[in-house]
Amino acid sequence: MDWIAILNAAINGVVLGTLLALPVLAITIVFGIARFPNAATGDYMTLGAYTAIAVQTFVSSSLVLGVLAACAVTALVSVGFYLWVFRALAQRSNISRLIASLGVAFVVRNTITFFAGQDQYNLDVPLVRAWNLNGVRILPTDLYILATAAIALVLVFYFLYATPMGRRMRAVADNADLAAASGIRSHRVMLCLWTLCGVFSGLGGVLLGIKAVVIPELGFELLMPMFAAVILGGIGHPVGAVVGTLLFSVSQEIASLYVEPSYKIVMAFGVLLVLLLVRPQGIFGRPMAAR
Amino acid sequence: MKHSINRSRRQFVSSSMVLGATAIFPWPALTQPKGEPFRLGALNSITGVGGPYGGAMLQAIRIAVDEVNAAGGAAGRPFVLYAEDDQTKPDAAVLAVKKLIEINRVQAVVGVWPSSVGLAIMPITNNADIIMMNTCGAPEMQIENKRGLAWMFQASNAVFGKAFAKIARQRGYKRPAVMAFNNSTFVGLANYFKQTWEADGGKVSELIIYEPNQTTYRTELNRALATKPDVVALGAYRPDATIILREWFQTGHDCKFIMPGWTANEDLVKALGKEATEGIISVSNVAAHDHEAYKSFATRFREKMKREPDVFAAQSYDMVITLALAIEAAGAQAGTLDINAKVKSVTSGGQKVSSFEQGRDVLRAGGDVDYEGASSSLNFGQYGETVPDFGVFEITDGKLVLKETVPGELA
Repeated sequence: MDWIAILNAAINGVVLGTLLALPVLAITIVFGIARFPNAATGDYMTLGAYTAIAVQTFVSSSLVLGVLAACAVTALVSVGFYLWVFRALAQRSNISRLIASLGVAFVVRNTITFFAGQDQYNLDVPLVRAWNLNGVRILPTDLYILATAAIALVLVFYFLYATPMGRRMRAVADNADLAAASGIRSHRVMLCLWTLCGVFSGLGGVLLGIKAVVIPELGFELLMPMFAAVILGGIGHPVGAVVGTLLFSVSQEIASLYVEPSYKIVMAFGVLLVLLLVRPQGIFGRPMAAR
Repeated sequence: MKHSINRSRRQFVSSSMVLGATAIFPWPALTQPKGEPFRLGALNSITGVGGPYGGAMLQAIRIAVDEVNAAGGAAGRPFVLYAEDDQTKPDAAVLAVKKLIEINRVQAVVGVWPSSVGLAIMPITNNADIIMMNTCGAPEMQIENKRGLAWMFQASNAVFGKAFAKIARQRGYKRPAVMAFNNSTFVGLANYFKQTWEADGGKVSELIIYEPNQTTYRTELNRALATKPDVVALGAYRPDATIILREWFQTGHDCKFIMPGWTANEDLVKALGKEATEGIISVSNVAAHDHEAYKSFATRFREKMKREPDVFAAQSYDMVITLALAIEAAGAQAGTLDINAKVKSVTSGGQKVSSFEQGRDVLRAGGDVDYEGASSSLNFGQYGETVPDFGVFEITDGKLVLKETVPGELA
């Protein structure tokens, strides 16, 4: 296989990986702070994509407006479900919150299909040809997607590591009791967390909708690879989530050059398996010792 | 006594609950003619990849059930419909069909769309002596149909694959590549394409089976395009076809596509625009537009759904009408196997009819009927398969233009 094909596959993997890093980050931060794998993340993405469709259909054809509306609506829904469902279950085991999040996922998806039906929608984005640099193909749309996702990632890392609220969030993630004892109000942290989760899932959903087609299963079908990327990067670790997703996507794309494409997901999970054998805590995860 | 008061209150509650329950009970089924109701199961792909078709198929089934019930039922037996969603997934379908059989006690299941579901539920319907009418195209359906209880209303994909290869050759293409969605339907199509093409000389430059539900297919597509094909036979559903064709257009590679008509249609143009879909060759089983049955069904369908029925909806309608005629022919007391034995005889070799009522009248007068359906003439072969005619269309300026009609031939 020549290097151009590999490079093309890698570029494709990087674009997909950066895009998916947004919802994966949402999963990992929720896991770090609220302490459960949020299975509704996929459907929050779907909601984001459908919101953008709704804006394009009823309000204006502006994609920027669609993206902003998607982030806002998903954030509202995400905070709403926190106040309604997850807050009440805060003291329960993480299994019950996981199951509740599955329920939330169904509610979101079926509400969408109730109004929008099962048929596919497409975001109205002009169709342009790729730039062909000696066989290496780069899509202008992909560059926009990449830039948007990258800027969002930089912003969130700035927020997490350089603002007081980010510090508080990390403190709660580290040790909730200690954080409470030092006067951090966890309710506010939680509201901030779920807003962030909603914004990132919604943004990821719209970007995904631009690349793919908008169907009710858009986000839910990606839940397994996203969870795998979280595990690969080290659960609860933001940088790990991004690196894990990139590694997962790139290996998946390159693998499909060498094996039958229907096995590409198997290959990506193969990478996950090998890595976990060597480093059971994930790339950036800290080893956890039982006391 | 205290007790009696309690009891009467309990009686009141229980009797009012019975009253409430009777209000919910499907009375229309009982206000209609005596005969014992025929329990009919509809297993449709309402959600999942089949979502764009499943809802319309269920509506078509309802339209047909209403037609049969309005005419007084089949052999006096009104149809009672139980509907389930198979989510276009075999595992969900198995649960759904078990519910239909064990709890609703249906005697026939109609409207099964994907082959993956058809193949998964056939052992169950066969064991339960249940008729299963479907639009499945996987060639394995015919092999597995050992008891003759399954009826395929859509052409097998062996026939589709063959037709694709013949059409590509007729049009002078030299280097075809094949891309197919990984399920029994499209893998069957891809393999038969390759087999037919290579039997007539020449090689298929690349055959790619891709995984469903991906966000991008660019790497798979690049692998196919790297072999510089002049035509790609694409076995895909609309969501994945939209992504693949968009990505193909973006590469700027010059080649044509041959696709099944349930994917390459005006909806695809709506999703992609005219430029990216120009010149796509779309091959499909065409609903029998000139049949009386189609015209009358299409009018009722339009009223409900505000659009033209597709071939799957027409096939679903035909399933119920065929079944009703078979029941009529077998008589009110007939069991499922006797009814099944009549399916072939009511669709061939008799007086041509185009509705349930017409057919029923001929049968009651002691005649033979040949139901000419809304989807095709419905002549079943020895494995329960039909071979509707093919229409070869080309997408020109966003519209499907019929180029030729190829009569179906068995694979």
